[in-house]
Amino acid sequence: MSTDESSESDEPRHPYETDESFHPMGKEWEDEMRAELEETDYDADLGMQMARDAQRLVAGEISEEEFYTEYHDDVQEEFEADERPIFDDLDGVDLDEVGDDRSMLESLQDVDLSGDDVSRRSMMKKMGAAGLFLGYSAYATHENEQDDEIPEQVSGVRPLTEDSREHRWGMVIDLERCDGCLSCVAGCINENGTSTGANWMYVFAYEDEQSGQENFLVRPCQHCSNAPCAKVCPVRARHTREKDGIVLTNYETCIGCRYCQVACPYGVNYFQWGEPDVEMGRLEFLDKTPEGVQAMDAGDGFEARAATYAEEGSERHEALSEANDHVYDARGWWTDSRPPNGVMGKCTFCPSRQDNHTDNPKGTVACMNACDETGMSAIHFGDMDAEIGDDYDRGVRYLERRKNINPSPKQKNEADPEEDGYGWEEEGSTPQPRDDIYTQEDWENPPAPHDTSQLSTFKLLENLGTEPNITYIGNEPGPTDEQIDTATRDDLTGYEDIQRDIQWPVTVKDNRKHHLDYGAGGPPEDHGEEEA
Amino acid sequence: MSTIDAEPDDILTPIRNTSKLWFVAFGAAAAVALVWLAAWGYQLQNGLIVTNLADWGSGGGVTWGLYIGAFIWWVGIAHGGIILSAAVRLFGMERYQPVARVAELLTIGALSMAGIYIVVHTGRPDRLVTSILEAYPWTVQSSPLVWDVTVITLYFVMTATYLGLTLRYDIVRLQHKMPKYFAPLYAALTIGYTKKEDQIIERMVWWLALGIIVLAPLLLHGGVIPWLFALLPSMPGWQGAVQGPTFLSIALMSAIGGVIIISYALRWAYDWQHVLTDDMFRGLTAWLGLFSLLFIWLQLQQVITGVYAAPTDLEKLMTAKITTLPYQIAIGLIVLTLAYIFAQAVDRRVFSLRRSVAVSFLVLMGTLTEKVLFVFEGLEYPTFSLYHAVPGHYAPSVIEMLSVAGTVSLLTIFFLVIVKLVPVVELHAVEDHEDHSEEVGS
Repeated sequence: MSTDESSESDEPRHPYETDESFHPMGKEWEDEMRAELEETDYDADLGMQMARDAQRLVAGEISEEEFYTEYHDDVQEEFEADERPIFDDLDGVDLDEVGDDRSMLESLQDVDLSGDDVSRRSMMKKMGAAGLFLGYSAYATHENEQDDEIPEQVSGVRPLTEDSREHRWGMVIDLERCDGCLSCVAGCINENGTSTGANWMYVFAYEDEQSGQENFLVRPCQHCSNAPCAKVCPVRARHTREKDGIVLTNYETCIGCRYCQVACPYGVNYFQWGEPDVEMGRLEFLDKTPEGVQAMDAGDGFEARAATYAEEGSERHEALSEANDHVYDARGWWTDSRPPNGVMGKCTFCPSRQDNHTDNPKGTVACMNACDETGMSAIHFGDMDAEIGDDYDRGVRYLERRKNINPSPKQKNEADPEEDGYGWEEEGSTPQPRDDIYTQEDWENPPAPHDTSQLSTFKLLENLGTEPNITYIGNEPGPTDEQIDTATRDDLTGYEDIQRDIQWPVTVKDNRKHHLDYGAGGPPEDHGEEEA
Repeated sequence: MSTIDAEPDDILTPIRNTSKLWFVAFGAAAAVALVWLAAWGYQLQNGLIVTNLADWGSGGGVTWGLYIGAFIWWVGIAHGGIILSAAVRLFGMERYQPVARVAELLTIGALSMAGIYIVVHTGRPDRLVTSILEAYPWTVQSSPLVWDVTVITLYFVMTATYLGLTLRYDIVRLQHKMPKYFAPLYAALTIGYTKKEDQIIERMVWWLALGIIVLAPLLLHGGVIPWLFALLPSMPGWQGAVQGPTFLSIALMSAIGGVIIISYALRWAYDWQHVLTDDMFRGLTAWLGLFSLLFIWLQLQQVITGVYAAPTDLEKLMTAKITTLPYQIAIGLIVLTLAYIFAQAVDRRVFSLRRSVAVSFLVLMGTLTEKVLFVFEGLEYPTFSLYHAVPGHYAPSVIEMLSVAGTVSLLTIFFLVIVKLVPVVELHAVEDHEDHSEEVGS
């Protein structure tokens, strides 16, 4: 911080003291404080003067001793005249000690503010404890001001607040609808060209040992709003888009230390251990370097840390749309589709779709499309901030619908078939059917209608504070539940069974390690090789 | 057996005489290092697929293994080394002054090896510097790995300063007896030297030592290094406050083990019985015992809390851990070490230099094994343990194992070279021998 050199005063000034105001939050704040002090019957000028000096104290321009000597008598006078005790009456504060070897801060900490002694509290309020707090708030504000110099210092770890962000993409996954067909897995591989065993979307059956009950778990990345992976990344390659909460890896800056993978509680990361199975040339993307894409005009798009999201219609957006780009996001960051060698990958929530420059509509993801196509419609992607009736409300809409199904199936059959079919609309909401995204009929008849209070939903490991954005409908897996090996069961779809649906030269595999252990040369015979 | 009875000239022996054995040792170490460098080249060419690492989760493996285990092992040796040396200066433990510089050099060398492991471990080492520097203002606020890099850099600078300052005194006084062809190096090291600085430097070194002693347990090997793991709530094998003390105990054990081995090698090669005395080795052995005991105690704490009414995830991990053969071997090695150290404390005749050196090897093997196990077992038993494929079975690949041999060889080369350049025993240690008083230590 630099001192104000233009200052005319011969008295040392606080760095952000101006002629108008001594407080970093400005004149307005200061006036407010004065008004508050003036409401009391104490000396407002004294309070303000103390406030000013408190800031100098914080800035180290005067010592605590000086501060204390300066004001002790004044304060004594001011309050003793009113027969209100000062320090002497404050629990645990020894007046003499304050000036000597104990810091003002320490002494204040000893003050028992919880007591119901009104005089004490009001005294604290006025006596420039107000001043002191002003000073401390100055200190705190000053810190924040410094942070502002580094634009949005926390950005990259959390999405912006609900008011500031555009969306919070998430999913509602109805496990009661999932039959483990793995279509979503295939859809994801086809969309992203991920290498063998890197099943960004992973579905598996698991068993509760005690009840013998079997369930499926559909496990994409949870796109946490407090993502541990983004927090620990030493280079901010793994980050959360402030605009919409998508957690992505910047393939251009990732150093491949794999700390994100270690910190993720869900095991959703897949490192690119060797050369990707699908060559870059086979992916659809705007044929420019990331720098080239970033250099293109983004128009008046959403401004964020170190990047602007291309506005629809801007040069960059047009170019990306023209190329049906599936590799860059609107910032021109290489974050979508499979990662290059030595870099971390995971489920991306298809950011090129959400930035609306692909042929697939915004508000969709490949796995959901694949799931819808089979008629299962277990995956419902959407803006979790949306109100019902807003755009991209599919997730919240589905959840609400599942929650509010009250009537039994019989009652439902008796209901007026001409009704809009939802049965849950509130007044004023006019949901538009979005047939382009999904077929309403697909999920019109949930497998088991629930009463609101009975619908079981959960988020995975929510107690870890990760704030996952995937909400599951169904039974939460218990701590001793175990995955069922598909090889042991004919009725379960195995990963090799979806091989025929894959458009890339990628072998679909469950156990990636088995594949990786062949090393750089790859397995002797990629196809028809048996699983360990 | 007695107080040091050495002359300043003695500490110059390695600089003035080079035996055939030196060349043999250098050649052997260089050969091993080259083999590993070639293996590393192969890894750079093909990617980390040449390791036996894989993705935890559905991928069925562990993503951190020997590389990270060896990284924290080297860092531990380094940090323990500097704590040892700082303690010697700060608490006036003159008995150990002859090895203070060895400990400092070990710190520099071991930290470099740890640095190499970071490079070896990452998928895109080419981006390390640019990516880290660019994001530093943000990441330093949130990433334990960046705290790590920051603090390790700080310590590297502190140790190098410390070493550089103390070397000046010796070189100025001994330069006329040292080879002329290194004169430019000595001139650079002693640039601007005046007699007046001796006292000032002594004070600076004291303050540096104080800084190291205070910060090492709080911030370094009891801080940022264990925090890499201990702060993650989803891996029961890692999370928890016990990791700080555990890491620190391992660091001190490994460092003392390392110092014993290197000092013994120096004593053997240069007939330094009178410089590096039996008495000093006895003391080091006793300290090794103390920290081994601490380690065993902390393991006991973890095992008992992990098996008695522990949460499911922790219990699963701990049960697996204590039934793993490598873990049992690691603990066995340390217990064996302790048995010897207790025995030699009870009956002094049990002590022998070779035995102390042997248990130092055991300790280093034990701690390396424990470190690697700690890393990959932590990943093998996560809280979210539904995946059938987890635990996968990790055993380091040949290329990974070569890295241990390679870095040990590089460290050997580092010491082989450094003994030819500067005195590895401080002049103070041999100058002050007349007022050397028997420490009550151990």
